Amino acid sequence: MTHYNKEQIRNLVHDDRIHRDVYVDPDIFDLEMERIWSRAWIFVGHDSQVPQAGDFYTTMIGREPVIMVRQTNGDVKVLHNRCAHKGAKLTGKIQGSCKGFRCPYHGWTYKLDGRLAGVPARKGYDGSAFDIKDPDFAMREVAQSDSYRGFVFATLDANAPPLPAYLDDAASTLDNIADRAPDGEVEVAGPPLRYLHDCNWKMFIENLNDAMHPMVAHGTVGNAARRFVAEQPEGTEYPGEAEIIFPFGSSYEFFDKMGITALPNGHAYMGGEMSIHSDYSDVSGYMEAMIESYGEEKTKKILSQNRHNTIFYPSFTAKDAVQAVRICRPIAVDKTMVESWHFRLKGAPEQMLKRTILYSRLINSNASMVGPDDWDCYTRIQEGLLSDAKVWLDSQRGLGHEDDVGGGRRKSFGTSDLSYRNQMKAWLDYMTAETTS
Amino acid sequence: MSARPENAAPDLATIEEFLCREADYLDAADLDSWFELYTEDGTYWMPVSPDQTNPETEISIFYDDRLLMEIRRRNFGDPLAASMEYPVRCSHLIGNIRYAPDGGPADGWRVLSNFQAAIHYRGKTTFYAGKYSHDLVQTGGGLKIRHKRVDLINCDSFELGSIMIYL
Repeated sequence: MTHYNKEQIRNLVHDDRIHRDVYVDPDIFDLEMERIWSRAWIFVGHDSQVPQAGDFYTTMIGREPVIMVRQTNGDVKVLHNRCAHKGAKLTGKIQGSCKGFRCPYHGWTYKLDGRLAGVPARKGYDGSAFDIKDPDFAMREVAQSDSYRGFVFATLDANAPPLPAYLDDAASTLDNIADRAPDGEVEVAGPPLRYLHDCNWKMFIENLNDAMHPMVAHGTVGNAARRFVAEQPEGTEYPGEAEIIFPFGSSYEFFDKMGITALPNGHAYMGGEMSIHSDYSDVSGYMEAMIESYGEEKTKKILSQNRHNTIFYPSFTAKDAVQAVRICRPIAVDKTMVESWHFRLKGAPEQMLKRTILYSRLINSNASMVGPDDWDCYTRIQEGLLSDAKVWLDSQRGLGHEDDVGGGRRKSFGTSDLSYRNQMKAWLDYMTAETTS
Repeated sequence: MSARPENAAPDLATIEEFLCREADYLDAADLDSWFELYTEDGTYWMPVSPDQTNPETEISIFYDDRLLMEIRRRNFGDPLAASMEYPVRCSHLIGNIRYAPDGGPADGWRVLSNFQAAIHYRGKTTFYAGKYSHDLVQTGGGLKIRHKRVDLINCDSFELGSIMIYL
């Protein structure tokens, strides 16, 4: 049992500093699984991964193995991946297609909606309380699931507010990803890239809106690229790789100008109409396809939204202008799986997908010249926080320079710690909320 | 028949010597010498799934062309990068070297092999294993690699951390 009462938890989080136990104490991690990851809406998958009835995809919501499965009526349900009999996971596959689920241990079978279809040698239950129609012997559906523009989220809390209320204005990033497709929808392209991190999950999710690190932690790759370009004959054209790598070395002023917008529930996005992605070259045929679908004015409006990272606290981050997302899956207090997924803009030239893939390979891959430096810094924090020299992490950059723009939203300059403080405020809200169960 | 110069195919001992040379450069973390083994249009690919067919429309762990190799060899070991503060030491073993029954460049040969490699980095030794596919061509500067595909047996696993050097 945890030794933290609510008062003690409150004392871990201040506006200007955060206690290290938040990152290194396994008891805190256990509490997070119970109070954050079982209450918040967690990203599960995209409905394009399960196009046909019976198609399924498995993942985790906190510590809960779950299955996202397409129903015969076209709905998408999220079920717990657990046999009602003795608890075995019903499928060990990451994805697949089936007519129903069958437990490989004792052969209990379930319909796609989770209802128990049959058990072998049923006569043996005669006279017992077992009833094939009793929902207690069905695969459980998660408390709530819903989707927004194809992005499927679920929560284990029946009392959580509905998905749109949870998303707040972060939804506009999902809108923009889908709107950037001439056909108005996106689909998952290929398998994700999985990258195991030796750090607490919050270091990853905090870093995505940390604009003080790119020019330092990712400075060397930009320098290497510039050194190479300088050696080339004058007039050599910059290839696509260069326009992705160079902005990572952008100045503090550039990132400040991008701005940060903090939203309710710990969400935030950096950038608005300009970001490190705004100067990408045009892809031939894309504008034409967009204008044909939306007309000139609306196309201009869609493409003018250009954000850096949007955080959907605690599990999901998205880049609207790049159509790449990253998913955060906590495994232990010092182990986090980060998955990079990529989307095809339906109706757009294939070159758009190629740019998405190139971006992610250059920045997110385990073997990139960017991701491993983030990985190393997170691990250093995990290691450094064991020091007793100081128990606090600093979070006060930009404190007092936040504009309340209404609706629980605040804005500040890009390199402010506003998003960090905003995440920790949500953390505290979840961790100290009155339980109804 | 393709224009493949069957008669001029190097014998397997020559191929083995060449593959070992590549492995030696990687073991020594000498990317400048390693890079010279590739043609101007050379590519290095490490897919993220066993059956991946397209490096451009699906994510990969590595897919480097000459430009990325140029940037990577300049970035490698830069003391200002957090991830480069630790030495990278590797040991490769290559075996089962044979010509591919099909495929490969019209003006060269495709050679398959199996490999195992241990990489010591950041106080930990990680074991990698898989298959190599080398597309080789004969040039004025000797045998060169036009394309190398590295299929890790755990390319799609949930356990891959940072991979600091080509395998």
